Amino acid sequence: MATTTAAVTLSSDLLSGSLSVTGSSTFMKAGTTADGLNQMRMGRNEIPTGTSFDLLDATASGVDKANKVYIANLSTDNTYYVIVIIDAKVIGRLYGGDWMFLPWNMDDVTHDLEITAYTGTNTIEWVKFHENETLLTQGD
Amino acid sequence: MATTATISIASDIMTSFGGISNSMTLTEAGGTQDLKETTGYSRKKLASASKVDLFVMANTSVTSADNVAAKVFIKNIGNGATPSIIAKDKGVKVFINSVELGILYGGDWLMVPVSTVDAEDIEVQPESDDAVVLEYVMFYQ
Repeated sequence: MATTTAAVTLSSDLLSGSLSVTGSSTFMKAGTTADGLNQMRMGRNEIPTGTSFDLLDATASGVDKANKVYIANLSTDNTYYVIVIIDAKVIGRLYGGDWMFLPWNMDDVTHDLEITAYTGTNTIEWVKFHENETLLTQGD
Repeated sequence: MATTATISIASDIMTSFGGISNSMTLTEAGGTQDLKETTGYSRKKLASASKVDLFVMANTSVTSADNVAAKVFIKNIGNGATPSIIAKDKGVKVFINSVELGILYGGDWLMVPVSTVDAEDIEVQPESDDAVVLEYVMFYQ
């Protein structure tokens, strides 16, 4: 079984008692207990401002399958940001230096994960861990 | 007054993948000032396959706006028993204003930036009636 894990440490001193949270997730295929995600794609893109791009396309074969997505905005100017959108719904703004991690579920084929850059050309890095992706037949 | 989050990803899916390690300090939108507000760390036990609100933006002190910084962390810690049984095949769907983000199976977590516009609530819905406990927090400006 392929093994992929994502660990997080979250620390904060905003409260009078300090907050320290850890977590670790092992990526499994949807609805399984011992069958790890076995496919991945990764990339780095420079996103010009103003246009919404499909970062990850929802596909029929991916509907209700497990996906874990990591996106980091590598822009060094923290006024730069990308808006992350799923199925036309704005999720939030990922500013320069920020990262996000989510279990992206395609509940239908319109559930694309889109991204739009603002202020300047943003550089992002991303990784998707998933299952059940097949190559397109030549000519599709 | 700082809040930091560090992620580490390791995988043997591809032999050439060297892993990811990245840290961020949670700051206000477009600036370097630390986020100063939080909902506090909370815990909720769910035991039915009904959709419930986790964060109601209108009920928080957060400004209703899409241009402020906010980050949400949610973790599925299992059924909350002692010891907690973490079922990797039982999930909780997470939504933003009824649009599904994804499914947190036992042990899974997420950390995402969110809009704090009123009505852009964070909702969750277990896939079954089995008990599941979520821990969650939001940081915002």
